[in-house]
Amino acid sequence: MNFSPELLAPEIAVAFFAVVVIVLDLFLERKGTLAVVSLAGLAVAAGLTIARWGADPDTTFNSMLVVDQFALFFKLLFLGVAALIILASADYVSKFRRFQGEYYALVLFATVGMMLMASTAELVSIYISLELASISLYVLAGFLKSPESSEAGLKYLLLGAVSSAVLLFGMAFVFGVTGETHLGQIGDSIRNMGLDKLWDSPALLMGIVFLVAGFGFKIACVPFQMWVPDVYEGAPTPVTAFLSVASKAAGFAVIMRVFYTAFGQATALSTDWGMLFAVLGVASMTVGNVVAIAQTNIKRMLGYSSIAQAGYLMVGLAAIGYAPIGDILGRSGVIFFLASYAVTNLGAFIAIIAISNKVDSDLIDDYSGMARRAPLLSLALALCLISLIGLPPTAGFIAKIYIFNSAVQHDLMWLVVIAVLNSVVSAYYYLRVVKVMYLGEPASEEGVPSSAALRTALSISLLGVLFFGILPRYLLNIAESAVKMLT
Amino acid sequence: MQLEANYGYIALLLIVAIIFAASLIIIPFILSRLGIIPRKPDPVKTSTYECGMETVGKSWVQFNFRYYFYALLFVLFDIETVFLYPWAVHFKQLKLFGLVEMFIFIFVLAIGFVYAWRKGALEWK
Repeated sequence: MNFSPELLAPEIAVAFFAVVVIVLDLFLERKGTLAVVSLAGLAVAAGLTIARWGADPDTTFNSMLVVDQFALFFKLLFLGVAALIILASADYVSKFRRFQGEYYALVLFATVGMMLMASTAELVSIYISLELASISLYVLAGFLKSPESSEAGLKYLLLGAVSSAVLLFGMAFVFGVTGETHLGQIGDSIRNMGLDKLWDSPALLMGIVFLVAGFGFKIACVPFQMWVPDVYEGAPTPVTAFLSVASKAAGFAVIMRVFYTAFGQATALSTDWGMLFAVLGVASMTVGNVVAIAQTNIKRMLGYSSIAQAGYLMVGLAAIGYAPIGDILGRSGVIFFLASYAVTNLGAFIAIIAISNKVDSDLIDDYSGMARRAPLLSLALALCLISLIGLPPTAGFIAKIYIFNSAVQHDLMWLVVIAVLNSVVSAYYYLRVVKVMYLGEPASEEGVPSSAALRTALSISLLGVLFFGILPRYLLNIAESAVKMLT
Repeated sequence: MQLEANYGYIALLLIVAIIFAASLIIIPFILSRLGIIPRKPDPVKTSTYECGMETVGKSWVQFNFRYYFYALLFVLFDIETVFLYPWAVHFKQLKLFGLVEMFIFIFVLAIGFVYAWRKGALEWK
């Protein structure tokens, strides 16, 4: 048995600091320190992750966990997102009378779960790390005691439990056919089965479909998106941001590893699930964008927009399915899109946190004339929305070009045409918010105050949006090196 | 082929189970319609429990929710003990590694206990 806990050092550090936060919360009167301790934990973990950067891939715990460039990239992404979320929620949380420590600790535990999700290469540990992330998020979604938040938490819990069951069922089918839980060995077993035998075992195909359904819930794609609008609306806004960015990215990380490693070796099979993702992607884009047009609440609108974004990402997954082995365009495209989507969506949500803190409403109409009340916040929100449409000079533009390019390379022209048409539709509802902010009449002349921590978080995400948009080469290199080692 | 044959048994079992359960409802119904079953009700026969005690009061009794705290804390220490026994049996093979591992485990549990104590879960008020 190879046992090297030092490979898990980042996860252990985050979990340790989460426990420290809980204990400090019990004995400390000044709760402001909790956010600082959480950030310190994330920084330590990020340092430990960067220290491994570029090293050869290694496995531990009987190769249940893989520490490769791919895993390290996602760990850094989750750590960064969690840090921005904690910075952005400092104000928000300081209003809580109780359970401030638990909030930070749960964010950290969810981060640990997601980090493990990115580096597991075995079905059972995938399930456990997914549950660690999910259960923390269920509690966070219902963290406010308001009826909406409770509804969000309960809805997320019940639907999440069903989706976990479906996922586990799919894993059971795959295990039943191949007799393996380790992804690499599942891949070998499927390759050895041969094509005719593959078609003889509908259980494997059924298992794959169940896995798509289970993971589809995590990434919020149609038709597993029913929970999204209600949970996004009811959950505390920082938690919504965390859900829409980190939880989705973790889902895509797992999908990429599972489908590429276990089901990507046999081309006959991989074009099948490639087509499945393509069709689900079309459904997600269309439903997300069309329904978002009718929304009046900005959190709900961004919820539907995140469904649509999942659809664009699935264009990349389809390209991976069609890609011959060794092609990296599709995978690095998805990774690049996830990173740029993370900074963009976080930026938008952080701006919304600041504005809704002041106006105490999430209705788009209440953003009327915001450009005169809070010029910088409005500019930031407008920039993020432009990036979500996919216009230059923002990260969203490069991300879309890159991911659509990978699909075109693999004869998925029809899919790209649909995706581009959808982007045009999406421009309507994103730009409507910009229009309301810049052309509407302000309800009052009062400014919108924001804390230094929130401004820091917002500037970091905006820098990301512009930097990845204007100088994408650096992130592209990192994304390409992250997928080269993915086995 | 082997796989399908095994699933065949399960399907067979499923069919038999459905027929059995359905027949238990349908047969007495038909027999009573035909008048074959004698209908002689008496108080003992129609009572809810032929053997056992009559329920006293309503069955929707509300427990104080603090019992749940104690139940959860009980689980905390119960699990600890459950893990300690096999650990103690294999202590010599596990060497220092096992000792450190168990201390980490107990440490995490102790934090849970401190948490419950500071949050007032141990007070009955």
